[in-house]
Amino acid sequence: MSSIKEFLAEDHGRCDELFANMEDAVANSIESAKDAYEEFAKNTEKHFQMEERVMFLEFENKTGMTQGPTAIMRHEHTQMRGLLEEMRKAIEAKDKDKFFGNSETLMILMQQHNMKEEQMLYPMAQQHLSADAERIIDMMNSMVIE
Amino acid sequence: MDFDGLSVDQAPPISAPLRFFLTAPLFAILAGILILFSDAVTLSSRYSVETIVITHAITIGFLGFVMLGALVQMLPVLAGVRIAKVGIVSKISYVFLLFGTLFMIFGLWFDISKITLLASFFLLCGFLILIISMLLAFRGVVHVTASIRAMITGLFFALIITLMGAHLLASYGVGKFSALHHVFANVHSVWAIFGFAGILIIGVAFHILPMFYVAPRFKRFCKKSVVMLITTGLILWLFLNLFFDFYSTIAKIWIALFFWAFATTVYLKLNARRRKVSDVTVWYWRSAAIFMTLGTFAWSINDFLDEKYIVIVSILIGGGFIFSIMSGMLYKIVPFLVWFHLNAKGYMSIPTMNDMIDKRLSKSQFILFILSLIGFILSFFIPSLLSVFAITFILSMAVLEYNIVSAVLIYYKTLKRKPDFDMSMFTMKAEN
Repeated sequence: MSSIKEFLAEDHGRCDELFANMEDAVANSIESAKDAYEEFAKNTEKHFQMEERVMFLEFENKTGMTQGPTAIMRHEHTQMRGLLEEMRKAIEAKDKDKFFGNSETLMILMQQHNMKEEQMLYPMAQQHLSADAERIIDMMNSMVIE
Repeated sequence: MDFDGLSVDQAPPISAPLRFFLTAPLFAILAGILILFSDAVTLSSRYSVETIVITHAITIGFLGFVMLGALVQMLPVLAGVRIAKVGIVSKISYVFLLFGTLFMIFGLWFDISKITLLASFFLLCGFLILIISMLLAFRGVVHVTASIRAMITGLFFALIITLMGAHLLASYGVGKFSALHHVFANVHSVWAIFGFAGILIIGVAFHILPMFYVAPRFKRFCKKSVVMLITTGLILWLFLNLFFDFYSTIAKIWIALFFWAFATTVYLKLNARRRKVSDVTVWYWRSAAIFMTLGTFAWSINDFLDEKYIVIVSILIGGGFIFSIMSGMLYKIVPFLVWFHLNAKGYMSIPTMNDMIDKRLSKSQFILFILSLIGFILSFFIPSLLSVFAITFILSMAVLEYNIVSAVLIYYKTLKRKPDFDMSMFTMKAEN
């Protein structure tokens, strides 16, 4: 059984792969890139929700910190959702420049966000939630995206 | 536990890294002008005053400023720690470093001993304030990674080379040189290039390449051992250099081997990257890998050729490797900082990162820079060419400055115009 830290960090890696697929698809033909975009957007949204609706809540309940790191991570999720929306609009408008401008920004924002999570938040979550790790991972796995 | 590293509001103010980044190309332009007024024969000697001045206008003025600016910005992200009172610390050290570097250039060039002594003191203060603040910040690291170990090692080397550098510069100020002056100068330069800049770049590359380009991760052995092996090589080299100079080539080859392996790995990882998008930052990584390969080779054989080609080695490694990577980084980090800080302030209608710097201009800048490097090497053999390539170098640095300034202007213009008045602003405020 993997730890919460490993489980979520591996999911970052999966999202990176889907991100690269999406950029490849847009570079080849923006007209037919919608599926690759949806695949990336859906998985990224799932990752955000696994954190926001499960892991962050458990962490906040356990530690009592609701205005700490999880609040900041939620804020960055909002920033990234904004960029994802701009990328969707760019694909609909078939505007490659606009798409790559936003995808480049999202990439850096996403990576520095992931670094902060993997560097600080996940080790802290692992420390506080290790006893319930199996249950929390199950909940994240079986969650339906809203 | 300290959460400051995670906070948007607690991230260093945008001015902290930007003032370093905006100043760096100006020092490179100054270096170019000094090259224009020098002759190639004088610059072929590593210990001529002109060579020392131009080298430091680049190594401190450009490379040092970019590295320190980037460290101030990246520490919270890469290590989850934050420099205490980062705003004021970076401001004070910036002033010391700015005047220290200028005084060093003018003091040595015009042989004014009081200015040179002042430069030694200012540079010592500027570097020590930042290096010690960063080392203190590292005490708060929760999860030590290979990158963090590399950054700490690099900073320890920086601490030693700063002390040595201040001593060497003060020697010029008082006009008295110890018997070990050249040995000190040699250790200072080798540890600065390989110990500080080299190890720092390796440490950051462990993170940056897999993350930003979705390249394959570095092997565990590489992340675990390379920095330690290079550090061992550098200490061994010091020991041999002091006591058994005849054998010091062995340690050099040892160090060169690992940097060559690193350069090759970087090139291969870029080939295997999942993100096929190519931009000026990728070209700079590639040119860095190629120049480093040539540089390590040239450095290793230079000993067998009476050290005649040390200036070429410096151009290949200092210019081709370190300078390339720093320039590439500026193209990524400055537009991102502008976007990030505007977005965090609630502005939504911001140009995308790719719209901030004209792609054709960044391409021209890259070509001019590479041309200048090749030209500088050619000038070693054909001295009359030097002034032509000094001009292409000045041009490339002027374009680099223009490119960074255009991104930074977007930040200040947006703040002034306040174009947004959409609901998202209120959403952000409500969340905070």
